[in-house]
Amino acid sequence: MILAEKQCASFASIVVTMEEVLIDSVQNSLRHLLYHNAIFMCERLCSEFPSETNLQLLAACYLQSNKAYSAYHILKGTQMPQSRYLFALSCFQMDLLNEAEVALCPSNEPNAEVPNGAAGHYLLGLIYRFTDRLKNAAHQFNQALSKDPLLWSAYEELCKLGAAGEAESVFGESAAECIHKQYLSHHVGLQSDDHSVVSSRQVAESVSPRQLRQLHSNNIKGNSLNNNNGTAFSGRVAASQPNNNGVHAGTPFYNTPSPMAMQLSGVSHSPPPIGRNMLPNGPPSSSVCADVSPRSTVKSTLQAPRRKFVDEGKLRKISGRLFSDSGPRRSTRLAGESGPVANNNGNGTNHSSKYPSISKLGSAAFRSVTVRKGQSWSTETINEGLRSDLDDTRSNTTTTSSGSSPPHDARSCEHDGSMARASMSVSKVASGALDVLSLLKIMGEGYRLSCLYRCQDALDVFMQLPHKHYNTGWVLSQVGKAHFELVDYLEAERAFSNARLASPYSLEGMDIYSTVLYHLKEDMMLSYLAQELISTDRLAPQSWCAMGNCYSMQKDHETALKNFQRAVQLNSRFVYAHTLCGHEYVALEDFENGIRSYQNALQIDARHYNAWHGLAMIYLRQEKYEFSKHHFQRALNINPRSSVIISYLGTSLHALKRNEEALAMMDKAIIADKKNPLPMYQKAIILVTMQEFDDALNVLQELKEYAPHESSVYALMGKIYKRCLMYDMAMLHFGLALDLKPSATDVATIKAAIEKLHMPDELEDNL
Amino acid sequence: MATESSEGEEETKLMGGNPQLVVDGDLREMAKNAAWSVSSCKPGNGVSALRDDNYETYWQSDGAQPHLVNIQFQKKVKLQLVALYVDFNLDESYTPSKISIRAGDGFHNLKEIKTVELVKPTGWVYISLSGNDPREAFVNTFMLQIGVLSNHLNGRDTHVRQIKVYGPQPNPIPLQPFQFTSTEFITYSILR
Repeated sequence: MILAEKQCASFASIVVTMEEVLIDSVQNSLRHLLYHNAIFMCERLCSEFPSETNLQLLAACYLQSNKAYSAYHILKGTQMPQSRYLFALSCFQMDLLNEAEVALCPSNEPNAEVPNGAAGHYLLGLIYRFTDRLKNAAHQFNQALSKDPLLWSAYEELCKLGAAGEAESVFGESAAECIHKQYLSHHVGLQSDDHSVVSSRQVAESVSPRQLRQLHSNNIKGNSLNNNNGTAFSGRVAASQPNNNGVHAGTPFYNTPSPMAMQLSGVSHSPPPIGRNMLPNGPPSSSVCADVSPRSTVKSTLQAPRRKFVDEGKLRKISGRLFSDSGPRRSTRLAGESGPVANNNGNGTNHSSKYPSISKLGSAAFRSVTVRKGQSWSTETINEGLRSDLDDTRSNTTTTSSGSSPPHDARSCEHDGSMARASMSVSKVASGALDVLSLLKIMGEGYRLSCLYRCQDALDVFMQLPHKHYNTGWVLSQVGKAHFELVDYLEAERAFSNARLASPYSLEGMDIYSTVLYHLKEDMMLSYLAQELISTDRLAPQSWCAMGNCYSMQKDHETALKNFQRAVQLNSRFVYAHTLCGHEYVALEDFENGIRSYQNALQIDARHYNAWHGLAMIYLRQEKYEFSKHHFQRALNINPRSSVIISYLGTSLHALKRNEEALAMMDKAIIADKKNPLPMYQKAIILVTMQEFDDALNVLQELKEYAPHESSVYALMGKIYKRCLMYDMAMLHFGLALDLKPSATDVATIKAAIEKLHMPDELEDNL
Repeated sequence: MATESSEGEEETKLMGGNPQLVVDGDLREMAKNAAWSVSSCKPGNGVSALRDDNYETYWQSDGAQPHLVNIQFQKKVKLQLVALYVDFNLDESYTPSKISIRAGDGFHNLKEIKTVELVKPTGWVYISLSGNDPREAFVNTFMLQIGVLSNHLNGRDTHVRQIKVYGPQPNPIPLQPFQFTSTEFITYSILR
């Protein structure tokens, strides 16, 4: 059919089916983000031409306009990988994690491949994470990364689980190779595509869109086509001319036509404008990928004849359909029908819809293009929009078979003379990929280190970023967090305010920023921040966390609690909101609910050490010292560098009367952070309990230098002097303590102590 | 506003009353988890009316004077201030006049620590429990008893609309002998 149409290309008869027109319209609307129109037209499409692929397109439309429930309904029970993926996504968005998991991993097919490769693995990883199967989650994220090294979100999740490998290796050579292969396989597909298109034997099989569609709807991995031809004719067939025309299959993102491709095609036409459009396969689906290897294998064996073919075929093919769709369309169609991988950040994706639509566009465009040659550009532009979406997601696509194809690709590249030029563009790809990977290496390592609370190291790593990347909201926000964890609130504030300058609309990390301002007691800045965040996004948990911190700072704990609870309502998976609720409950002395909130936080993220610390503090107040020690230890295991936690752990040990250990712990805390005055103070208290008054006084003398305005230091010294019967010194220090305006309770205590100075020493509770 | 004149050792006259509850920030309400009871009440105007944050509802006694409100804490607490909401305009002869505040470990050893006389109060009246001595800023006790000894116009029963009991803010950091005053100490003592 295609051939026939090709021959008729020059004639004016227009054969466009209703289905194609509808699909075009839907995809056009999607491209322009007109979801309402897209949904309407797509619903007509599905009523007129009910098919699972059309349903996928409709589901994609729904998902893009936040109607996961509709997508859920129409895809329930479908079996194609792309359908299962979209269905799983809908379930995930509706919080139906069990169904999502079953869709991705049918229980009756334990070894079935996860649909959509990297994206599927990522989604599955999120599901496992939210259902508390952390090892499985980590495994899935690793799978996702191995299939698509540019799936940053997967690496991020691994960091949060504390299970990430060093960025150097994750985004290292094997990643570069993987990307390299992905591009190569596209290119190879391109080659074989021309070849197959031209060869009579193959044409029928390769070209027939119907056949291809059938292929894909059967989710054939080792394509029957392949079997038929013996050539690596697979979904990649579609890796077509457009690629040759100039855009290297592997460079969807770059409009530079690959010189090799052009030469290979043997035609000096001007492909460049087509550029992005001509990207043959959007996301290579797993089934498509599977085809790569056979194709490449075949390729290498058929080299000589192929070369000839390539030139001839390309000439004919390309000139015949300079802007023809058959290649790209077919490829996109193939890509679409085989369930292209979509980028999924776990919160729904915008891309999955593109694939099915692309496939449709493919077939539709094909016909329309052959007819109106002159207008091919317009169709191209439609594709362009789609392709660009594809392109964006391509980085997230995985090619399972890419691993297997490279050797073949490489070999065939080398053998074929024209292939030599291919390697030029390939190395171009490679360098592009390396650039991206080197960037990700730095960011990934920085993020990984900050998740492990090796904050100084993380800061050093982030400093390696070029200026233009460092001064972005995300990076500056990470820098701010690192400083926050180091208890350097001034630096943190600086970084966060720069982050806000760089990205005033971004909410990432703003909850931490609000806590920083809380610590700095900057009430004006905090309320300003909260107002701004709320006006940016009233439905973001960070905004309400900031607002809550505002009220908490003013000691209005009940309102603060309400705000934090609102944040929880808006996103029950936002860990920090739960922890903040816990803090407010504790301030209100509602320890039961406080414990509950902290435990909720830990259920979501067991590495949220603030919640462990919060629990430990409650137990400390309730005098359950063993519990508190255990929980401080848990917090410390996650963040071993926090001098605050170490200090409190020491306090618990002291309460358990393990004074020697407590002292050692305080020394550890002092070393961990020289700026923290508390461990020294606590050390003095322990020494007093051990009746080591001289040592205690020495410590406090030293502390006096560090923190000359702390009333409690003088008050404690006064008490010690009193115990040592040095009444003059005691009097002096009590006076100093009073001068520094302690709390009313302490004023009373100190004055009472002064009164009793010349009376026999009574049993003091707090010493 | 309430005026305090130290005529004599224990008796003070309180006049006027705040319609708004105004309390220092370094005080906090202590009696949320305490056990409240009254010597007598009319059905429908029981002890819960004293704690419902509602000025419309009131406790009405129903027996012989003195009418007593007993507040028992789970452990010894430091108390500094008692605030009563009473309104002569609304309650006239039901408005308390002489109030005696007692503290102790239990019913068996309550000791009077303060007596005040209210003169036509119209809102919140504040009764400080502190002694003159700075050492006696707080009363450290298990139980507090507020006794209404007499009412205005010699009324028999009494109306009280709200009672609140205040003590000092506890040390936010547990197991510390003193509270921290400087920013460095406070910053490093809280992990949020």
